[in-house]
Amino acid sequence: MLVQQRKRMAFWLILPTLLLIVAFKIAPIAEGVVVSFQAQSMMRPNPDAFVGWTHYKRAIFEEGVFGAALWRTIVWTVGSVVGAYIVGLSIALLLNRQFAGRAIFRALFLVPWVIPEVATALLWKWAYGDEFGVINFLLMRLGVLDTPILFLSSPGAAMASVIVVQIWKLYPIMFITLLAALQSVPRELHESAEIDGATVWQRFVYVTFPYIRPTSVIITLLAAIWTFQNFDIIYLLTGGGPADATKILPTLVYEKGFWGLELGYASAISLLMLLCLTVLSVSYLFVYRAQREET
Amino acid sequence: MTDTALNPGGAPRSEAAMNAWRSREFLMRLGLYLFLSALTIVVLFPILWMASSSFKPQSELFARDMTLLPVDWTLASYIAVWQGTSFPSYFFNSFKIAVASTALSVIVGMYAAYAIARIKFRGRYAFGMLLLIAQMFPQIMLVIPLFIVVQKAGLLNTHIALIVCYAAFALPFTVWMMRGFFETIPEELEDAAAVDGAGILTTFHKIILPLAGPGLAAVTIFAFIRSWNEFLFALVFLQSRTMFTMPIGLASFQEEYTFRWDLIMAGAGIITLPILFFFLLMQKFIVAGLLGGAVKG
Repeated sequence: MLVQQRKRMAFWLILPTLLLIVAFKIAPIAEGVVVSFQAQSMMRPNPDAFVGWTHYKRAIFEEGVFGAALWRTIVWTVGSVVGAYIVGLSIALLLNRQFAGRAIFRALFLVPWVIPEVATALLWKWAYGDEFGVINFLLMRLGVLDTPILFLSSPGAAMASVIVVQIWKLYPIMFITLLAALQSVPRELHESAEIDGATVWQRFVYVTFPYIRPTSVIITLLAAIWTFQNFDIIYLLTGGGPADATKILPTLVYEKGFWGLELGYASAISLLMLLCLTVLSVSYLFVYRAQREET
Repeated sequence: MTDTALNPGGAPRSEAAMNAWRSREFLMRLGLYLFLSALTIVVLFPILWMASSSFKPQSELFARDMTLLPVDWTLASYIAVWQGTSFPSYFFNSFKIAVASTALSVIVGMYAAYAIARIKFRGRYAFGMLLLIAQMFPQIMLVIPLFIVVQKAGLLNTHIALIVCYAAFALPFTVWMMRGFFETIPEELEDAAAVDGAGILTTFHKIILPLAGPGLAAVTIFAFIRSWNEFLFALVFLQSRTMFTMPIGLASFQEEYTFRWDLIMAGAGIITLPILFFFLLMQKFIVAGLLGGAVKG
């Protein structure tokens, strides 16, 4: 068939996909920018009235809600990603050898990843309970605790508790990508390093890690982006409480938009959130590049 | 199968050393299995606990002394959630939306995937980038403008809005993954068809699609799981109970039936089971698709 014809055909083949993506993922961004400069409050008349930077100023300076939520989002993201990376890498290293039944373990360790968010949140909530929660029950039985910990309802423990849940949800994707990367490490390198008397740790740092570093950077970045904008887990577990202890940016956006019915204000916060996310992602890659050029 | 990782020096030569090596090898294997099994149980404990709780009678759920497994196994919680609540309607709403949105995204996406896998057209690279970038935008940010649009269109509290949204949100990943599958199919097969005078679409339908079966199945399951699990858009777009999907229906149990953890656990079991089943059935393809065919064994 003629090359020209093929090319024209390609246009028709991608058109429906292009339209759907533009309509539901690209155009809403533009619409969101417009909305963030409009009153858009469901309680007031004339939602389309132009209000300039009002929402932005209010979020950053007047209410000061943005800075606090941003800080909590960073804690939540870094805690979850670092935790999930450590767990995921450990399991990947354990499974990075040939043995019968390896595929079964690999499948089982992936399971938390497919559990629906709502089920994840609710089953952890049930396990975290103070009176009838199994975690407190076990800890008290083992004599670790005298009184139950209020995992989700005390401001001091809530953030750590929700991070544990996110680690649980996130480590499988880290583990499976790192396992694939580990398989690119040449066996001979390990063997010669061991013959040269390198310890297990030295072999990991100097032989294994350089091979999985690019994958690690990409997967931690993706995981950070997903976690930064994750809404479901915290909304379902704590709703942002207690006393705002787990109120991250997505929770704040939802609260302002759909409880406070101020869509313009919520949209402004969500754009600030996207801005922060972009800046953080780009600087992460920048630091990685700079570091790689040094070595 | 020799394991060089555990025995880097190669197998020892003398008989005695060989035996010592074998028993050491055996112990290490055993240790590995025991450790991995223990770790699996710890990691999957919340799920096991959910499953166990869902088969306990209510009295055992709130007993002072907890047992790992139910003492009296019962399906009472499942019967209660299926007969005493609106859960069946949530289930069928979820099913309907997931099937429709999956079909839409797979059918639309496979043509686009084929085009970028096989045709060198201008803007191919840009289109690929657009797909990647589209994946990055936070849902919580998109939901506000989409809510306004859906409201203006009078489609709030309908399933059609969710079906189209879910399809659009699954598309970048669907296209990306299917492209990978199509690229693994030898191009010569198509050239032969082209010589015989078949057009692009005929070639695609008759030759490529049948060969892409497993990949297509993996992508379909992926899109289905995504839509089945989705929470935020359903929460914002749906308002009346009769329209609820399972995730938001189950979440609403927390207010509607406070302390009825029997209902909640059974509901969580019902929402999880089909997903788990599909996943375990297809995990090999799903993993391969995720990693672009990098994982074997």
